[in-house]
Amino acid sequence: MMTDKSNMVDITLNKDVLVVGAGSVGLETASKIASQGYKVSVIGQKTACARQSGCTDEMLNSGTVNIMQDVVLEDVAGVTGDFRVTLAKGEEKMKAVFGAVVVAPNYSYASLNGAYGLALSDRVMSQSQFEAFMDSDGLKKVAADSGSDADDVENVIVAFLTGFGQEGDPVSTGRALKSALAVQKTSGCKAYIYTGNIKVGAKGLERIFTEGRHAGVVCFKPSVMPEIEQNSDSVKISITDPVVRSTIELEPDYVVVEEALVVGQDNLDTATLLRIDTDLDGLLPSNNVHRFPVRSNRDGIFVASNSVDAANVALRIAELIGDGIKNVSADQAKVDEERCVICLTCYRSCPHGAIFWENGAAAISPAACQGCGICASECPMDAIQLGDFTDESLRKSVKDAVVSVEGSPSIVAFCCKNSALEAGEAAARFGHNMPAGFKMVKVPCAGKVDVEFIMKAFVEGADGVMVAACHEGNCKAERGNTYAKWRVNEIQKRLENMGLGKDCLCFTTIASNMAGEFAAKVNAFADKLA
Amino acid sequence: MIVAERKPFDEIRSMVAGYKKVLTVGCGTCVAVCLAGGSKEVETLNAELNLAFKKDGIEFGAETLERQCDMEFLAELDTRVDEYDALLSMACGAGIQFLAERFSHKPVLPAVNTSFIGVNLDVGWYEEKCRACGQCVLGMTGGVCPVTMCAKSLFNGPCGGTNKTSCEIHTDQPCAWFKIYERLAAQGRLDQIIEISPANDWSNQKPRTLIQPGYEERVKAMR
Repeated sequence: MMTDKSNMVDITLNKDVLVVGAGSVGLETASKIASQGYKVSVIGQKTACARQSGCTDEMLNSGTVNIMQDVVLEDVAGVTGDFRVTLAKGEEKMKAVFGAVVVAPNYSYASLNGAYGLALSDRVMSQSQFEAFMDSDGLKKVAADSGSDADDVENVIVAFLTGFGQEGDPVSTGRALKSALAVQKTSGCKAYIYTGNIKVGAKGLERIFTEGRHAGVVCFKPSVMPEIEQNSDSVKISITDPVVRSTIELEPDYVVVEEALVVGQDNLDTATLLRIDTDLDGLLPSNNVHRFPVRSNRDGIFVASNSVDAANVALRIAELIGDGIKNVSADQAKVDEERCVICLTCYRSCPHGAIFWENGAAAISPAACQGCGICASECPMDAIQLGDFTDESLRKSVKDAVVSVEGSPSIVAFCCKNSALEAGEAAARFGHNMPAGFKMVKVPCAGKVDVEFIMKAFVEGADGVMVAACHEGNCKAERGNTYAKWRVNEIQKRLENMGLGKDCLCFTTIASNMAGEFAAKVNAFADKLA
Repeated sequence: MIVAERKPFDEIRSMVAGYKKVLTVGCGTCVAVCLAGGSKEVETLNAELNLAFKKDGIEFGAETLERQCDMEFLAELDTRVDEYDALLSMACGAGIQFLAERFSHKPVLPAVNTSFIGVNLDVGWYEEKCRACGQCVLGMTGGVCPVTMCAKSLFNGPCGGTNKTSCEIHTDQPCAWFKIYERLAAQGRLDQIIEISPANDWSNQKPRTLIQPGYEERVKAMR
């Protein structure tokens, strides 16, 4: 970054942390954060033992971990280091300030028996029902009652159905594998697994799978869903074995069907309240390869979904809060209060929730701002300037990028510094042939490409303008590439209305390691312009 | 706020053609907030005009005033106006007229169409809320405007076209009087719905909405 170091300021961060969700992961996260030396408040319905989740007596007695049973999150204002939170317990309201907020979502499960054409019954159970059945020694009793508990007699057969009702995930696979192993280890019982997509990409799953195979669990991986016939007192599962070329039938005593993860309205409401994005399945947080998985689109708001996350969140919080003082650039993005008309466009457009308003103007938190520039490009009054990419400097860059070269079209390419700029620089280093009139304009994110800059390039005499952004779903600022695409579509319409045709402007997405592809795209564009 | 939308470029182009020097005047209030006529829109429009009139050598100046509906702010242009052959205003109809009145010796051209009085649903997405009918009945209608929302602008409703909470014109259009009924019932003021207001005969009206160009996809995603 070229940011002038003299414009760095110290910001004081509140050192307390709020954990939303008092399940085992929430409590474990709290214990890990407390171990880093921060005071933690945990709210929500407590569904696990604090001590078993890692909270020590000292943490609990000293109030370092303060569990506020049945307290809910009602409102959140402010930004990283200074979240001003309203909590509620029934009618009672309380206000508190936290430096960071962690969401530990409690997802629930929904049985996928319908996907297999099965009705739940005494014999057909969901994975959760079967886990409870095992916990209460139900299977053990059935096996004993069946007349034999000798190891070599297998009177009770349990079949697991997984990976056909949904794409599958390691959590779902892991639960089936664990249960199957437990069945196999129960005297007189035998486990079969019918799996479509088996996902073992989580710690220990491969080991449990192997252990199960060694113990005698039989796994079938047919390419299509097995044929299942359910009668009043039996279930028949048939598959075609491609090796022995015959149909293999099984009539298990119990059938266990996989479950889908249900996000739940409570988690979605929490996400809305905190203004953090979910992924396509509604799970928290949104996926972004530029961030650690526990980070959300807002600085200072984290998500912990499992034990590994709990440990990582604690590290990220220590990194964020440190000793409570953070040195940040003051002019990453600045609002001209005279020009600002508080239209709220920036507040609504900021993917990082870094903007609020006070004293009659928008204000941008230097701690929360990521410098993408979406706000500056959307502002109808040009009231926001980025320290490293002011409108004035970008206008100059655009002007300089329009060059007249004999026999080559003049192409101005607005290149996101996270992707296209690197691809373009690499293309030059690798010696890819590029048109002589091709010039790149560096932008912090494609979201900082104003409609005005694109028009300006044409006014200056460019034959073609290219806006090169990160691939869909790959934008560091979540939707800077989307904004850029919308703007390009709109300008193409305007160019057509002006009778200039839309082909002189193109939008493309590229990754930083795609030098060859980038060169090919630029050359194809140049050919079109010629 | 007053919501406006930029005129089609062709229309603006044909209006300014023939002048040598044009001053584009933005307005920093309603039309800035609704992304139609603030300084960004002034710069963008001028860039488009520069491109279109490159060969003709027309010069475009830019100025964005705090408000064009206040003479004190218009006065800021007093010393500049004579340099120009015409003024291109991006303010609402009120601002354009006030500008034209102050500089009555200059042609003043509108660059936006003034659409309605409305609210902001999301960035670039607005909904009409008020028809400025001059006879506000919101006190009796639970704060729901029947003039704007009811297709017949009925002061006494609902009519026979109310259809399971919707209006007969479209299932997406809520029945204003159903909304009024719901709101008054929730507040325990249902007796007020019986009171008769003098009838009006405006017909075939429904709340207008407006999505600024370039925000269609965002609005689609929001919906």
